[in-house]
Amino acid sequence: MAWHALFPSCELSEGGVKLHPTGKREIGVFRHRGKLYAVLNFCPHAGAPICGGEIDHPIFVDQPGGDAKRDFENPTLRCPWHHWEFDLKNGKSLCPISPRIKTYAVREREGQIEVDL
Amino acid sequence: MSTISIVDCDVHQPSPTREQLAEYLDEPYRTEVAKHGTRRIASGIRGEDGGNRRDLDARRLRDPHYYREALLDRYGHRFALLSGATASIAGMPDPDYVNAMCKALNDFYMAHWLPVDPRFHLGLKIALQDPAGAVREIERLAGAPQVAAVCFFATANRIPFGDRYYWPIYEACERHNLPIHIHPSTGSTLANAAMTPAGHATTYLESHVCMPQFYMAQLASMVLNGIFEKFPRLRVAAVEGGVAWLPHLLWRMDAEFKALRQQAPFLKMMPSEYVKRNVRLTTQPVEEPPKPEQLGQIFDMIGADQILMYASDFPHWDFDEPTRLPRSLGETTLRRILHDNACEFFNLA
Repeated sequence: MAWHALFPSCELSEGGVKLHPTGKREIGVFRHRGKLYAVLNFCPHAGAPICGGEIDHPIFVDQPGGDAKRDFENPTLRCPWHHWEFDLKNGKSLCPISPRIKTYAVREREGQIEVDL
Repeated sequence: MSTISIVDCDVHQPSPTREQLAEYLDEPYRTEVAKHGTRRIASGIRGEDGGNRRDLDARRLRDPHYYREALLDRYGHRFALLSGATASIAGMPDPDYVNAMCKALNDFYMAHWLPVDPRFHLGLKIALQDPAGAVREIERLAGAPQVAAVCFFATANRIPFGDRYYWPIYEACERHNLPIHIHPSTGSTLANAAMTPAGHATTYLESHVCMPQFYMAQLASMVLNGIFEKFPRLRVAAVEGGVAWLPHLLWRMDAEFKALRQQAPFLKMMPSEYVKRNVRLTTQPVEEPPKPEQLGQIFDMIGADQILMYASDFPHWDFDEPTRLPRSLGETTLRRILHDNACEFFNLA
């Protein structure tokens, strides 16, 4: 595991996503509400380029009829093809299933976006 | 298989006669029923082509002793759930009338049927039109000997079973550890305004063929509206709605939940897991694929050894004997379907 510079920070604005080739696929880096998230651009469901999906803020309700809350601290990435929803931080599905997206540690250093590969 | 004692989840004792019913009804309905008979919703289809098995002694079909001879003793039953007839209450628009009818029917069967044989058990009639009245009837009779379930009607309700309207009934069932027995109510299906999702069926044939669609809709409604999250100990039997559609429903609910979880964010498990935990299906009328082994494949897909329970539907025309199930299932699975699963469902020792 080592940090690798992908591209200059200035190429990723707030609310944006930028893809960087790695091996046969790409890593997508999102800047959302001031934080960075990096994921492999591959959905484990049907192989869709998941970084073309939408960032959402998941809804949680303790029980039917309970008060609904939207979690703005833990955004999700929703795949553009079949709308599966994954936690952007840890890659887990919001449903109790095992498939997950691959996520990477990501940071800004000296004007560069770096991921831990 | 001959050594397996049978737990039968669907036996239809007849409605009482007008005179018998009037005896158990309170006013103002006693006088009404004595004078006019029970109210009816006519769907305009000829259900009489179904009806009862033609080989039975029609003169004795009001006699519980005949049921004991022709069913319980003949097939080795240890338990028979009496689900009765539905036409006089299912889908009726007047909740006061239905509450009175349910009380009278329950009292009649408890007086005239249950004492005849300890293997008879009653599915309580309740007014789905009036949850408060339904809860009162459950409270009145829960815990009485041989009361084993609460009857719902799959096909004659204006409000699907996942709606919060039914929460008081589910709460009462859970509190009294009474499972729910969902059965068709063919003659009253018109209460839905549509006898199939496509519109009004022309014939009993068409209506009967489309029956599973009601079960698919009711189960999806219950699961996706979180009934089994809200009431985790609630047990539900989908009776006489077929079996072969279940894999489709489970797969489709799970697949679409993965995409649309935010519309049911209170679900903590996959939809299919709630079905496997809280719902059981009964066998009759068991599907008849061109290749018998295909039924085994369906059974394998749904985990039949856990989720299926036997029902005869005696004395109706589409009755299934216990031997109707394919022997290829093997002794262990047959025993679970004919006996063990229903023992767990009805809390039999």
